[in-house]
Amino acid sequence: MKRFSLILIIMTGMAFSYTTQAQTDISPERKRAIDSLAMEKIRDLGKYISIIGNKQTPFSEAKRVIDRTLELFVEEAQMGVSSLSREEVIYYAIREYLERLMLLNYDKVKIEWFNIQYISDLELQPDGRYVGVITIFQRFEGTSDDGLIYKDVTKKDITVYVERKQTQIGGKLIGFWDVLLGDIRVVETTK
Amino acid sequence: MIKRIFKITFLLMIALSLSSGMAGCKSKKKLAREQAAAEYARTVETAKQDLLSIINDEGNMSLPEKESKLQRVKDMNINEPEILALTRQAEEVIAAEKEAMRKKWEEENKKKTEAVSLSLADYFALVAGASSVENANIKMNEALKLFAGPNTPVLIIISQEGDLVDYDRPTTAKKYLEYLKDQKKNLNEIENIEYDDNGKIKLLELIKKDY
Repeated sequence: MKRFSLILIIMTGMAFSYTTQAQTDISPERKRAIDSLAMEKIRDLGKYISIIGNKQTPFSEAKRVIDRTLELFVEEAQMGVSSLSREEVIYYAIREYLERLMLLNYDKVKIEWFNIQYISDLELQPDGRYVGVITIFQRFEGTSDDGLIYKDVTKKDITVYVERKQTQIGGKLIGFWDVLLGDIRVVETTK
Repeated sequence: MIKRIFKITFLLMIALSLSSGMAGCKSKKKLAREQAAAEYARTVETAKQDLLSIINDEGNMSLPEKESKLQRVKDMNINEPEILALTRQAEEVIAAEKEAMRKKWEEENKKKTEAVSLSLADYFALVAGASSVENANIKMNEALKLFAGPNTPVLIIISQEGDLVDYDRPTTAKKYLEYLKDQKKNLNEIENIEYDDNGKIKLLELIKKDY
């Protein structure tokens, strides 16, 4: 039994190192393409959030966009929400955050992401995934019917996971990079 | 005396009838042989005419008709040098016609691909640049008619190194068009289109413009 366990451990180790090796052997050009793909997903998320928050977006469209947005995230991912009026940051599951965003009690909501950049490059992890952190600045502006405007700028860090996967399409084996976003943590909130 | 005459007459009649019966039998066999020969000659002639009609056809007969005619002749198993030579000729005619049809189909398909590529690329630009959700939805629904279905796979190439191709996560026709509508950016070009038997897109391959 002990010998069997040892063999199993060695074989698992070999398989793991093979996977890691296969993903390590990527050229700088391929790596750049993956970096760029992950960055694109963050930009996409920024746009989705602005559509969902926008009061002009029809309800059915906002619901559909929420579903599309969820496809960008790993399960259990959370979004940090801050406010100038309170100290603490509240973390919501992504769906809950997006639904709350859609129903915000303002007449007009404008959300904009800017200064999007890597603060930690995508690095290969022992589990074969690439993990990195991208930081964004979010400008939020909510206007209520009495003309009051709430504004803030929040710096947020987004964990990015990239994994090489394969699937069969039309009898052809397709190798693709699956980019998934993890928790979005609030770094700071300013006026 | 009379009895004797009767007897001789009777024997003569039997002999006569026997001899005439034998002659009849002989002529029946001959007739059968002649009929078989005539039948064979007719079969050969029909086969010859069928083969000549394939060889000399000037567009009146369809390819399947020609193929079935040739097959009928082959099934007759006629071992005549003339028929065998004509069969080979007919086979060559059919093979040449098939090749011409294949080339024509390829050219038509190429033209169609270029035409659809253009209109599909136009639709992508129109959906991404639509001034309203309603306009984008109208263009999306028109574009979807070019696809075999809303779930037709769409692949996006993000990098290529020799045979090694890296894709983004595969998506579908409907989701890709929705992406263009939501993001209002059209960053990919059409790389390859595969069609089904109805001329609808069954697989679309895109490539990043800045790649």
